[in-house]
Amino acid sequence: MNISAKDRFLNIAHFKSHDLCLPSSFFLFWPETLILWMEAGAPEMIRNGKGRIKFFRLDHARFLWELHSGLEVAYYELKGQRYTYFITPIIPRYESRIIGEDEHSMIMTNEAGQKMMIHKVHAGNMPMYLDYPVRDKASWETIKKRLNPESAGRWPVAWDEYVKKFYNRDYPVGLSVGSFFGFLREWTGLERLLFWMYDEPSLVEDMMDHMVFFEGVIIKRVLKNIKIDFAFLWEDMAYKAGPMISPEMFRKFVMPRCLKITELLRREGVDIIFVDSDGNIDKLIPLWLECGVNGFWPLEVAAGMDAVAIRKKYGKEVILAGNIDKRQLTKGRDSIRNEVMAKVPFLLEQSGYFPCIDHLVPPDVPFENFIYFLNLVREICGLEKIDSYSPI
Amino acid sequence: MNEYLSSICKEVIAGNQTEVKELVDKALKNGILPLTILKEGLTRGIESLGAKFKAGEVYLPEILISIRAMNMGLNLLKPYFKNSNDLQHEGTIVLGTIEGDIHDIGKNLVRLMLEGTGFRVVDLGVNVSASSFVSAVCEHKADIVGISALLTTTMINIPNVIQALKQNSLCGRVPVLVGGACITREFADDIGAEGYALDCTSAPEEAKRLLRGREKS
Repeated sequence: MNISAKDRFLNIAHFKSHDLCLPSSFFLFWPETLILWMEAGAPEMIRNGKGRIKFFRLDHARFLWELHSGLEVAYYELKGQRYTYFITPIIPRYESRIIGEDEHSMIMTNEAGQKMMIHKVHAGNMPMYLDYPVRDKASWETIKKRLNPESAGRWPVAWDEYVKKFYNRDYPVGLSVGSFFGFLREWTGLERLLFWMYDEPSLVEDMMDHMVFFEGVIIKRVLKNIKIDFAFLWEDMAYKAGPMISPEMFRKFVMPRCLKITELLRREGVDIIFVDSDGNIDKLIPLWLECGVNGFWPLEVAAGMDAVAIRKKYGKEVILAGNIDKRQLTKGRDSIRNEVMAKVPFLLEQSGYFPCIDHLVPPDVPFENFIYFLNLVREICGLEKIDSYSPI
Repeated sequence: MNEYLSSICKEVIAGNQTEVKELVDKALKNGILPLTILKEGLTRGIESLGAKFKAGEVYLPEILISIRAMNMGLNLLKPYFKNSNDLQHEGTIVLGTIEGDIHDIGKNLVRLMLEGTGFRVVDLGVNVSASSFVSAVCEHKADIVGISALLTTTMINIPNVIQALKQNSLCGRVPVLVGGACITREFADDIGAEGYALDCTSAPEEAKRLLRGREKS
């Protein structure tokens, strides 16, 4: 009997199965990667999410992006180029427009009120942020008005019809439950936020408290009608040497607010709560566990993260996703095999693990190598291989 | 150590800008030489903080408020230094984010730490080509080239700078110090970069090591 993607996802996250589940929500690609792959002969169907799920045989995992509760992907299209970036869930959005450009780059203000520089040649590169909308208490109040959880634009007009889509589904559904450090940094810039943690702690707390309120309203309203399988926080609050703030600051600012969200989720039956943070999160994992967060992605290898060591240290306390070193996928098959075999068999045997690359797949990963990685994982689980050039 | 100097050092570490300003003012009025205040008070404070950062005792916010406090004191000292040479810089570093990459948070933190520990930094900004690095090295008579990269797709442009330095007979004479989210010690070794900084607080120490190596050769 075929087990649905939803049941496989839940069984693995609850340590009840050693199956393979490749949730599409953990398989993200830089736009440039997909373009290069298609130019090199990969099928056109990988251009969109549904096509990728089908071709790469991923497991459909549905995020409720349309509710604008988390970080969102935004695009700016100009002269046939698509520039991609991420924005916070501000509604109404600001008008995005170009305010300057030269041969290599252009400067624009985006929908979230940030001023940013985009590299023209490498359209898929992350932009550099030049200015941020929150500069003081008054400008925070302006942004706050755009963070009304009840805004009409945040909810589908035909809510009842929308809800029905999720009856009798066979795929897992996830809800973004925001961010504390991450969103604030997007609004203030890193330097200002770090200074404010010393200079303006009450303003930082007010911003974080508002996010508890904002996410709380959304979570309650969604869970009234839709059964959510997992929740997802976005923080990105570490770099390769460790966390951006001290454990003491985490306890002071983040922990009490994060706990309110996870307690609400758990009361409503959502017990799979992931956090997305790049960098080395070794010192943050125990703090997040204390906050009620139990899932970790992407576990960046270049930052020293080691899923095997984390599993041995924390056992079934942690659900893990990622940790396959994207840099190894740029090399040959031996490197990929070494990377996969050192981690995947052990982690699948232990359960509570979703194998995937340790962040977005970059453009220097050849298509054949990505297919080889997928097939290797499938081979470990006794599944038939993907034909690399013809759609299934 | 003089009481004023040890207090300046302590307040820099604590990030107390008002106290640093007051103490530097008092130290000057008590006849302590500006250069002594700079080296034995302000810079020593930043260096101690770097050690605390490596030991996991302080984090980025503490680094930022300490550098701010140090700058508060430095502003009082600047009028005493008629030209930049009077500051007896540790050395000059040409710094930039590599071509193709427009990210500068890490680079800017490195610049602050280098300046705070006595280096003269020529910041070329982001998306810097190999030829621009070489031109700046010649123009500013730089002792070190510092290159930052955030992305795996842009770090591959760093060897172009090393190649350009070679072509201009600067390789070896002007060591290259690399760092950034995607950069590892192995990568630095592979491309022939003489220096590697894991994070912003490692950069001054590594830069000093490179300068010592240059003096010996």
